[in-house]
Formats: sequence, structure tokens, C-alpha cells
Amino acid sequence: MQNFTQILFVMWRETVEAMLVVGILYAWLSHNPAGARGLKYLWGGVLAGLAGAFLLGLGIDAMNDALSEEEHAYFMAGMLLAAAILIVQMVFWMRRNGQRLKRDMEQTLSVNAQTENWWGVFSLAAIAVAREGSETVVFLSSLAMGSNGFASAQFWLALGLGAVLAGATFALLQLGGKLVSWRAFFRVTEVLLLLLACSLLMSGIEKLIDVQLLPVIVAQVWDTTGLLDDGSVLGSLVSSFTGYRARPALLNLIVFVAYWLAIRWMMRLSRRPTAAA
Amino acid sequence: MFNKLAVCGAALLFAGAAFGGEDLLTFSLNCNNGVFAPKVLQVPAGKKFKLEIHNVGTEAIEFESKQLRKEKALSPGGKSFVVIYPLEPGEYKYFDDFHVSVGQGSIVAK
Repeated sequence: MQNFTQILFVMWRETVEAMLVVGILYAWLSHNPAGARGLKYLWGGVLAGLAGAFLLGLGIDAMNDALSEEEHAYFMAGMLLAAAILIVQMVFWMRRNGQRLKRDMEQTLSVNAQTENWWGVFSLAAIAVAREGSETVVFLSSLAMGSNGFASAQFWLALGLGAVLAGATFALLQLGGKLVSWRAFFRVTEVLLLLLACSLLMSGIEKLIDVQLLPVIVAQVWDTTGLLDDGSVLGSLVSSFTGYRARPALLNLIVFVAYWLAIRWMMRLSRRPTAAA
Repeated sequence: MFNKLAVCGAALLFAGAAFGGEDLLTFSLNCNNGVFAPKVLQVPAGKKFKLEIHNVGTEAIEFESKQLRKEKALSPGGKSFVVIYPLEPGEYKYFDDFHVSVGQGSIVAK
């Protein structure tokens, strides 16, 4: 039987990534009246993600049987890369438009351009929730299969914990937005999301390396397992949120550096957010 | 009579080669609520192989290995496989992401 700590850890880890994305997007969109329409797309995305999580989670055995190794890798890589791109797009959209007043935004951005961005919000929320959610569903459904089925105390404990932790992450983010200046909040959350996007990018290319679509070039450039083992509890968390790898292949390093160089370059090009909140 | 047998035999051989396909080396790994059996799996280096994972426990598991770049969730009783491409000689660690504290297993390629 899984003990309380194990359940707590898994539920926290699974919900925090998705809630980080949803929570930050919510804070950004509600900061400014022009984002109000985007909020509807955000919640729509969350609902779509939940539906997707159930389908993927409950159908995990069917999926394992139906898809070949390559198909599975392409599907996962596609989701990961799409999420990474959407995050980067969102960050830069906010940098350009986050400060604009509603009327100003409606004048400068065509309806299509606005809507396009809102669909980006929808998609990002949906992918983030579906990805982590599907693993949570597999985890939860097996607890429910315990001796009492759905009456199993562990199932309800885990579900309750998940809801509380997700809610807490969300609330903490909104609180953070209120406690510090908008500029500081935006800077920190922007970095958090860009780190996450890097991690998703790394995971995506690793899926493709695995089915030999991409070359490692050098299998292992160094081994910093002694410093931080990415298989350990702390290490796997750092790995999920930043893209850290204890034994990186050369391709991992190339993509990592290229990603941050590209981000820096794009930041130079875009207008910086103004100090006025 | 002999000729007919020879032709049949040859046909069967060709059919076997065409449809039998490449026989992938297969290894089996059981996972019982985070405990892997065998804990250390010996495999030949430089050969592509199939790793069948069977969740024989009562809880969901997630076979994960950063080095092998694999992640696979399995519900109790679930069985699936991952294809591992030719490995350099060495030790490759894996763990159950749903039971992290239980410990790691490893695949040793020689």
C-alpha cells in the first residue's frame, strides 16, 4: 500500500506543472481588462485538458497496445514541442501587449490577431492539463482499484490532496502577483515559464533521439550525477522544471544553448514591458 | 514427388524469412509496487532489444529512465514493452516514478 508521503509527492508533482502554467496565464490575463476574453479560452482549455487527461489516462493500456514505439514517440514529442512553442509565444505576446489598455489593444490588434492568441492560450492550457493529468488519472485509477474500489480511502485522500495542492499553487501565484510589483511578478513568472518551456523542449527532442530520428552526436558529454542525480527526488523535480540533465548528450546541450540564445535574441527585438502597472 | 517436397520446403524457408522478420531480442522486467525483478538486467551491448514490462503489483507504476529516455505508465496488471536501441557498454539506471523512494534498478550492457 502506498503511504501518505508517496501519494502526496506524486499528486503534488503531477499537479504543480499544470497549475503553474494555468495560474501564471490566469494572473497575466486578469491583470489587464483586455485579457478578459482570453480567460474564457483559458478555462475552456483547462476543461478540454481534463477531458483529454481522462481519455489518455483511462485508455493508457489501449494506447500502449495500439501505437508502435515510433508513433508513441512522435505523439509525445509533438505534444511537448507544441507546448514549448506555445509557452514562448505567450511570453512574447505578453511582453508586447501586456501593458496595453483595452481600447489601445483593440485598435492595434485586429480581431483575428487577438483571437489567434486566445486559441494559443486554450491550446497551452489544454496540453499542460492533459499531459500531467493523464498520469494522475492512471495513478488515481489504480488506487481506486484497491480493496474497496472507489470507496478506498487512499483514492479519496489522493484526489483530495490533488485538489488542495492544485488550488494552493494557483492561490499562491495570484497572491504573489498582488504582493509584489507587476513588473517584478511578470519578470519572475516569465522566467519560470521559459525554464519550463526549455524542459519540455528537452523532453521532446529526447523522445525523437530515442527512436533515432535525431542523433545524440555524443552520447554523454559529462556526468554530474554526483552533484545532482536527476533520478533522485530533488533532481527529478529540477529536471522537470528546468531541463537539467545529469548525463546530457551533445544534442541536449546544443538545443539548450540554442534555445536560450534564441530567447535572448527575441527579447532584444521585442519591446520591454513598461514600469507602469 | 521429391521435387514437389523440395519446392515446398524452399517456399516455406523463403516465407519464413519474409514474414518471420527480424526477431528482436526480448527481455522481461516485472515491477511490483516499485520493486523491480530482476533488479539488475544484463543485456548485450550494441544490439537493439525489446524490454517487456509487466506490472505485477496492485498499484500503478511508471517505468522511467533518464539515460534510456523512456517513460511508460502501467496500470496494475498492465503489460507493455519499450524498444531500446543499441546501447554503449555501461550501466543505465531506471526507477518507478510512482514509487520513487523504493529505489532504482539498472540495465547493464556488456
